Amino acid sequence: MRRRAFDLVAAFTFATFAYLIVFVFMKTPTAQLQAGGLAQKIFYFHVPAGYAMYLSGAVCFVASALYLAGPRDSRDAWAKSGAECAVLFGAMMLASGPLWAKKAWGVYWTWDPRLTTTLLSFLIYVSVVVLRAFGGNGDAERRFAAALGVLGTVNLPIIHYSVRKWGGNHPTVITQGGGGLRHPDMRHALIMGFFAMTLLAALLLWSRARLALSSSRLARCEEEAAARGLLDS
Amino acid sequence: MQTTEVKNAPEGRATEFVAVQGGGDTTSASTLLVTAYVVMWALLIGFLVLGWRRQQRIEARLGELDRALGASKRT
Repeated sequence: MRRRAFDLVAAFTFATFAYLIVFVFMKTPTAQLQAGGLAQKIFYFHVPAGYAMYLSGAVCFVASALYLAGPRDSRDAWAKSGAECAVLFGAMMLASGPLWAKKAWGVYWTWDPRLTTTLLSFLIYVSVVVLRAFGGNGDAERRFAAALGVLGTVNLPIIHYSVRKWGGNHPTVITQGGGGLRHPDMRHALIMGFFAMTLLAALLLWSRARLALSSSRLARCEEEAAARGLLDS
Repeated sequence: MQTTEVKNAPEGRATEFVAVQGGGDTTSASTLLVTAYVVMWALLIGFLVLGWRRQQRIEARLGELDRALGASKRT
């Protein structure tokens, strides 16, 4: 039943992305030259990817905080999954943003407050993933990773409000009194982008959490089997 | 005659190249757009492949454990 639901959501997500790509490339109008012209179409994936990073970070935060309050395999699995997905969506955002910036600003990167705080958060999530991948699976490592996961997410509101507090080059089209997307097709493309990325984030978070939980349970079974002399190591 | 002299004079042409900040951007917007989409999809596919490989490793370990349990039951 779960498998069937997962497959259905996966198929729906794929169809949504296919529609979104066609809509963005074929229907959505090109923005003004100062916004990057044709390169502005990166926006319809760049912003939802940033939102998906926030979503994954929130999952990582809640699961990490719960793990610190009371360690459980499932909480650790969700925290790990949240950090991994935050790295993926953060990488998507940080890879696409500079390509758009090259056209809109003339440079790939600038140490703008929002860019800098985003990079910092991304690096914290990378450190969580690296720690969990190479630092062992003991309780101390899990706790340390959970603390880092909490720290990474605490930085997310700073990213969001950095534009308001410290200014910078980063556009504020949707929030902070920005003019918004003037054309209805632009608005539709962005809403579809958010919808598609939410579905994708949910799928990836769920599948990675299941994977981490299976791996954790299997490791316990292996330890028990080894203690009973059933396994070589 | 005077116009030709001005045209051929060194100061009328570039006599050196100097690096400038924020010079004319010649990068094609469509190239940047396609690159961004390709990179994003490549990252996603890489993530899925890594997940699939991890699942394969779990299944291999599960198979090993299953065999070990089966062998212990027989003895």
